[in-house]
Amino acid sequence: MNLHDLFQAMYESCLGTALAESLYVYPLVEGIHLLSLAFSFGLIVLVDFRLLGIALPSLPVGEMLKQLRPWMIGGFTATFVTGILLMFALGPKLLATFIFPLKLLVILLAALNAIWFEWKFGRDQDYLTGRKDPVVSAKIAGAISLASWSTVVVLGRLIPYFDGSF
Amino acid sequence: MAVSDRMTTIDLFKAVQGSDIAIAFGNAPLVFGIAAQLFHISGIVLILTPTLLVALRIAGTGLVDYSAAQLERKSRVYVATGLLFVVFSGLFMLIPSATLYQPNPAFQLKLILLPVALAFHYGFLARIAKEEFSQKWLAKIIALFMALLWFAVGMAGRAIGFLAA
Repeated sequence: MNLHDLFQAMYESCLGTALAESLYVYPLVEGIHLLSLAFSFGLIVLVDFRLLGIALPSLPVGEMLKQLRPWMIGGFTATFVTGILLMFALGPKLLATFIFPLKLLVILLAALNAIWFEWKFGRDQDYLTGRKDPVVSAKIAGAISLASWSTVVVLGRLIPYFDGSF
Repeated sequence: MAVSDRMTTIDLFKAVQGSDIAIAFGNAPLVFGIAAQLFHISGIVLILTPTLLVALRIAGTGLVDYSAAQLERKSRVYVATGLLFVVFSGLFMLIPSATLYQPNPAFQLKLILLPVALAFHYGFLARIAKEEFSQKWLAKIIALFMALLWFAVGMAGRAIGFLAA
């Protein structure tokens, strides 16, 4: 089964049909997908700005992550779940252009960057508590995160423009 | 002025849509439309995220190393920038198709919710975020209501496209 077959199967499933034909649920799902960016994208941008030393420099990175993590996870869960539901509703036409596959690729890059950051700094108490000076690699991780998540949002907004069937 | 001479809302929207600036916006290359949408989304995030952080802090969670008043002060520049983004990008999208928007119930709802959200934001947020605001339970309710109000503005905005289709 290739990616097109998978998306076709999702589209033809009971869930895909129900979502695509729903007058209210589909717009609601799309609305939540967009507005949950305030928690997911908005908070990750704030953390990235902190890693770059731009926002809230007096707050240790570890404290910021501890205080915002539940809300970021909640935001990303809402964005991710509604994104999957939109994939069910829209099916293989998402694959008609390079935009959506590229969006998935950039999400993968952003996720790998986040995993690397956690692996590298997740237990580094000197860095997390601010006892150690900000390190270049953490700033680079922040810049990659900022660039990749911004690209994901831009690509998401471009999808309808590159496929007249929406 | 006689009743028949009064300009109705639809007349106003027709006049706006027929203006030179509306025609210029309507003839602008697609890339400007895409840019307007991206500015609109960026503006929404710039308003919602700082407002949520202040609302969460008033509720006793989120960035607890800062006071709600400190966060509210820091949020002002982001919310103001976000408002500039949404207003100008919104006008760019609205003006060339004003008569399509005017009868849309989601647009009409947005036009009601937006000033209410702005009134709550600029009328109450700074006051309830202050340390000396004694009625904490009331502050939490207003903060929650205000955050929901902004989300409702966003949902109404998103619904415009679906109801117009």
